[in-house]
Amino acid sequence: MKQRYFSTFQLILLALFSALVIVAKIALRTPLQMSGHSGIFWMAIIIVGARVVPKLGASSIIGVTSGLLASFLGLGDFGALNTFLSYAMVGISSDLMLWILHGNTDNAVIAVIVGIFGHLGKFLTKWLFGIITGAPIGFVALGLLRAFLSYVIFGALGGLLGWLTLQALKRAGFFAYLAEKR
Amino acid sequence: MDQKKRILLAGAIMIVILGIVLGVDFLQRQQAAAQAPADMPPGSIPIFVDGGFVASFVPDDLSQLPAASFVDAEEGKTQDGWLLCDVLLFYLGEDNLQDQSQVTVSSSTREKSKTLTWAEVENKENNVLFDLAGRGTLKLVSTIPGFDIRDSWIQDVDKIEITSP
Repeated sequence: MKQRYFSTFQLILLALFSALVIVAKIALRTPLQMSGHSGIFWMAIIIVGARVVPKLGASSIIGVTSGLLASFLGLGDFGALNTFLSYAMVGISSDLMLWILHGNTDNAVIAVIVGIFGHLGKFLTKWLFGIITGAPIGFVALGLLRAFLSYVIFGALGGLLGWLTLQALKRAGFFAYLAEKR
Repeated sequence: MDQKKRILLAGAIMIVILGIVLGVDFLQRQQAAAQAPADMPPGSIPIFVDGGFVASFVPDDLSQLPAASFVDAEEGKTQDGWLLCDVLLFYLGEDNLQDQSQVTVSSSTREKSKTLTWAEVENKENNVLFDLAGRGTLKLVSTIPGFDIRDSWIQDVDKIEITSP
């Protein structure tokens, strides 16, 4: 019998991470009034998910699944398609960067870089949507640069938070437990 | 390729992405500037009173407007920016605005608009304000019942019209 790429157990874990992204989006709040600040939480979850299920495509599955959930829950200001693609691109661009770096998020530098690019995937989706739909030019000159930098910073912080969470999970013996379950 | 080179490649990709985003934005502004009249700089929001163009809401004037914010009940996010009443008073003065004046804020790209009376706009408890969206466009938000959820808010605002009774 042909072995499946993701086991059922792994798919369940990825679905749980997807749900966690949505819970984080709805429940966790920061007092920061900057675009993309919620990336701290969901990039951390993606980074952890990509290590718990260390296969290419794991982040994409988290992104696509959370995108579907977010669309059906009516999250976001720019419609369901925009919401779905934004979430999906977070996962897809994280996977793309993991593939380019040939590494895993156990490494702090890689976790930060993956966090940045995953979050930039969301920024680029929103920006492209604006261009395609003919949205008016930004009111504030260099507003895009500010938003870009904001996404980079919060993506990096999310990557770092994810890496710290992984270290804590490792110390707690989570990966040894997971190896037994497999 | 070793890890160091891969990390450098990632840095280069980020710089290329930033260059593309800023380059496209610059080109769009150049194109808009070539087409728009001098008193309507690219990105500004034109204000019309009874069908006649009066002024453009431009970012240069933001420093003269007080900041305002509220936390929306739907997602608990803080919407912050500038009150519509402050914007209109700054550009039009009180003489052009009466309690029954109709203020219509619209977005041509989203094909959405909202008409409110000046009394509703002026009431600061209604929090009728422009929030700066992540991609740099303005979004009209409020806490007025029925106009307090995302679906009803006006994203990508590009016109303000005042009609007198």
